[in-house]
Amino acid sequence: MEDLKKAIMDYAESSKKTKFYFSDLEKAVKKVKPDAKAREVKKAATALINEEKLIYFSTGSSTMYGMKGRGQTEDH
Amino acid sequence: MAFEPREEQTKLKYQELRIYSDEELNNYTEDELKSFKVKHNIPDLDELEKGPWPSFVADSKREALRRHKLPEDRMMIKPEVVEDMLGQLQLSFDHGETHWKHGGIVGVFGYGGGVIGRYSDMQDTFPSIAHFHTMRVNQPASKFYDTDYLRTICDLWEYRGSGMMNMHGSTGDIIFLGTFTEQLEPIFFELGHVLQQDLGGSGSNLRTPSCCIGKARCEWSCYDTQEMCYELTHFYQDELHRPAFPYKFKFKFDGCPNGCVASIARSDMSFIGNWRDDIRIDQAAVKAYMGGEIAPNGGAHAGRDWGKFDIQKEVIDLCPTSCMWMEGDTLKIDDKECTRCMHCINVMPQALRPGKDTGVSLLFGAKAPILEGAQMSVLTIPFMKTEPPYDNVKEVVEKVWDWWMEEGKNRERLGELIQRYGIPKFLEVLEIPPMPQMVTAPRANPYIFWKEEDVEGGWDRSIDDYRSRHAR
Ligand code: SF4
Ligand code: SF4
Repeated sequence: MEDLKKAIMDYAESSKKTKFYFSDLEKAVKKVKPDAKAREVKKAATALINEEKLIYFSTGSSTMYGMKGRGQTEDH
Repeated sequence: MAFEPREEQTKLKYQELRIYSDEELNNYTEDELKSFKVKHNIPDLDELEKGPWPSFVADSKREALRRHKLPEDRMMIKPEVVEDMLGQLQLSFDHGETHWKHGGIVGVFGYGGGVIGRYSDMQDTFPSIAHFHTMRVNQPASKFYDTDYLRTICDLWEYRGSGMMNMHGSTGDIIFLGTFTEQLEPIFFELGHVLQQDLGGSGSNLRTPSCCIGKARCEWSCYDTQEMCYELTHFYQDELHRPAFPYKFKFKFDGCPNGCVASIARSDMSFIGNWRDDIRIDQAAVKAYMGGEIAPNGGAHAGRDWGKFDIQKEVIDLCPTSCMWMEGDTLKIDDKECTRCMHCINVMPQALRPGKDTGVSLLFGAKAPILEGAQMSVLTIPFMKTEPPYDNVKEVVEKVWDWWMEEGKNRERLGELIQRYGIPKFLEVLEIPPMPQMVTAPRANPYIFWKEEDVEGGWDRSIDDYRSRHAR
């Protein structure tokens, strides 16, 4: 779990983008851990949400993950 | 098995939970309403009130007046919220473009759905709708609720939101329209801890599952739609609240092919009640319909004289597969040709009933026309028995999700993915063989695609053996 969380954060921090689809996170994790399952990646992403390192960004119809403090992440 | 809720349920009592007194709820007269002017000039909206249809403008004006007359400390967001909403809408008509900004990071802690952020881009003109977030409340199965429940949630929303709501959104949720960010957590707390209600789905989530009225009131229901809806809603809480799908995913449960929640048109996975034995026929009742003793269609269409009931014209000739006929005065059905359209059963409900060996048909891939066109679900699993806890159904669900999460592009619905890969691939994913029931028009396409492993000897097999028996 911790290694998956680290892979997600490494990717999120190094990416130029400020919002990510779940599949972006999954791809990034699979680069480091090719046998990671989508469900495990989701658990790790949820843990990061609960730790408030990642945040959800929703348009209403689809949802992306964002990083706290980067891009449009504050209530406006 | 009798239905057991997952947690003990407390009956909501409005008298204990109410926020407003009767005087506060009935705080204006019809005369006051007639002379009430909202604070913005809204000529186009006034126009919408004219004509025979009920109008949201008329409802909004009532709500605006009530809030105008309530003491300001009786509401957590500004009283003018409804008036500002109308004012901004008029401005959007004038400008021909919207003044809402959608989306953002608002939500309640731990949930990735259920709240949809919305803001005005004219906050100086319309300060009370600077924030106007939507909340989706997961409706009770079949939308069964009593007035205690309704009054309680209405009071909550009057107090912490705009008072405006939408019964129901197309996914089935009760939609709370318009509140400020700081109200979201208190509302969520009240809903979850006091009223035992949950938020519904939004975004790339499993959306709030919804079901027809089912066995609660309808004798045609081939399985307990409410129970299956409830079970899958609980079982897939993580998928409902923590988005990780390529896009939205909807379950809908119809108890029979009449499709009262239109699952075939509105859900990525449609559950439609079905039977695999024969339509039950009560020949005496058939005769009673023919003799005019029982009104057809359950007595509907009674406002006009349609003439004597004609079973040939009104039932047999309308059977889409022509599988019914009369032998003397006995009605016959060739059940293996019956396509379960429900027409005959709807016309003569006392004479014809669905069979007794009941279950569900599973269809996949409906969606509204965002990309490509609108699409109906495709019949994929013609029949499946269903018993709680529905492990066989869950197994199918998970195969589908695994494939879609693996192969689906961002914002690609399941139906589009199936279209992109073709039905044969989808059947492979589900590990089921092609079946005749899946074919709509058997002679429309003459091509059969074989796979190398299905052909004896593969692609490289020598032709000589064949030629030894068949001359060129
Ligand atoms: S879909 Fe069928 S079972 Fe459900 S309420 Fe409608 S008629 Fe009854
Ligand atoms: S349900 Fe429809 S297809 Fe089946 S016998 Fe009745 S009318 Fe024909």
